[in-house]
Amino acid sequence: MKVTVDRTLCDGNGVCMGIAPDVFDVDDDLNLHIVDEIPDDPVIRAQVRQSITSCPVLALSLEE
Amino acid sequence: MVVTTSQTVVVAGGSLAGHTVVAELARRGFAGDVVWVRGPEGTAPYSRPALSKELIQGKVTSDDIRLPGLEAHGLRLRVVDHAVCARLDPDDDRVLVTPAPGAAGEPSDGDWIPFDALFVCTGTRARLPEAFAGLPNVHCLRTLADAERIRERLSGRPRTVVVGAGLVGSEMAASLRSCGLPVELVVQGRLPMDAVFGEDLGRFCLERHHAHGVTTRLLTTVTGLSASEPDGPVVLTFDDGEQTSADLVVLGLGAVTACEWLRGSGLDVSDGLGCDEALRTARPNVFAAGDVANWRHPVFGHRMRVEHWSNASAQARHAVESWWAGLEGREPPPFAEVPYFWSDQYGLKYQMVGHARGHDEVSVERTGADGYPFVTYFREGRVVAAAGVNAPRAVMRMKARIQSEATTIQGAYAG
Repeated sequence: MKVTVDRTLCDGNGVCMGIAPDVFDVDDDLNLHIVDEIPDDPVIRAQVRQSITSCPVLALSLEE
Repeated sequence: MVVTTSQTVVVAGGSLAGHTVVAELARRGFAGDVVWVRGPEGTAPYSRPALSKELIQGKVTSDDIRLPGLEAHGLRLRVVDHAVCARLDPDDDRVLVTPAPGAAGEPSDGDWIPFDALFVCTGTRARLPEAFAGLPNVHCLRTLADAERIRERLSGRPRTVVVGAGLVGSEMAASLRSCGLPVELVVQGRLPMDAVFGEDLGRFCLERHHAHGVTTRLLTTVTGLSASEPDGPVVLTFDDGEQTSADLVVLGLGAVTACEWLRGSGLDVSDGLGCDEALRTARPNVFAAGDVANWRHPVFGHRMRVEHWSNASAQARHAVESWWAGLEGREPPPFAEVPYFWSDQYGLKYQMVGHARGHDEVSVERTGADGYPFVTYFREGRVVAAAGVNAPRAVMRMKARIQSEATTIQGAYAG
């Protein structure tokens, strides 16, 4: 599982970080950081899928 | 599995909550029929937060903000556009679906659709006092059509008055000013956004508006709007007797819940649609999600409605889980997600987690190189909310704290 972000769309609104804080981190310059290895944990993976569908600017996509 | 192919689910509402209910049914492999009554707008669902931000500033188009289609999910899905749920039978599990007012086609009394489960996601509409309706240069901002109508007017560089300085009003003032328009902001209270943010961030927000050249009227209410020519300038009259003129007026006067169609159905619609902690209404197979849902939040211990993006999608998923749990004979969990919203104004990101209403104490720190205010809100000694500017890490750390403090308190009572 790998998540990619379209940086032309991402505005650092932090919705993903609120849902999956172990995977997404928005710094104070509003840049999104995504962990390289998404933990093999069903709860976290469900959070990641929710983050992708919950992104209000549709900036996240999933590569399984 | 208790869910069978003969079951019918009706989803009322075509915005994020309704969209997410349908997506969640698909994700769970629901094999019955889904009837999705998407409401009067006649558009596919879109990202509403973008309207007062990127869309109004011309950074994105309506195509850019469409939510992903659900056709490919293998659901037995019937989408009904330009139509509304007009009535819920008090005695039978069926809803009357009628053409929306103004919809094209033959007039119709509508069709009664029986359901095994109904998800009410009809949300809110912009509050528009009757006396302010009907003027072509006066606009609310709630729908994509509203935003496109406003957007069409901007090339003429209209002098703009924004009435109301809550989340939508304050954000619209900032976006329109960023487009280069002359903007005046009419603030009903002492400060913009003070009903959500309180004193310190409200004052900061006011200072940002002034620094960017927005003029403000504080503690002022509009008592009348008029135009001598139908498409001419609008004269605004205020409660102190003063008047001003504008080429464009944007009203940000809050929202009213769209659940009058449930009157007489036996459900509690006194403030939105009343439901229990698991988003179940008084009827066992009717659920609510999104702006319309009024539920008792187990973390804060009182009833609330939350009119924000993250809440709509999270509640929609939860409402489906509540229904599913009931079918499987499990007790559904309470919906305990801590509210979150953000606002973009002049390139700054305002963020808030929690629920500050009724707070009795705040602590204010300064964050970052620019010393922006970061506010923590307390109620009876407990952290109930936090808000900051360009401080996403600090805000999100507080989310976990708000949740865990509450869990500890709940745990203490549980035994």
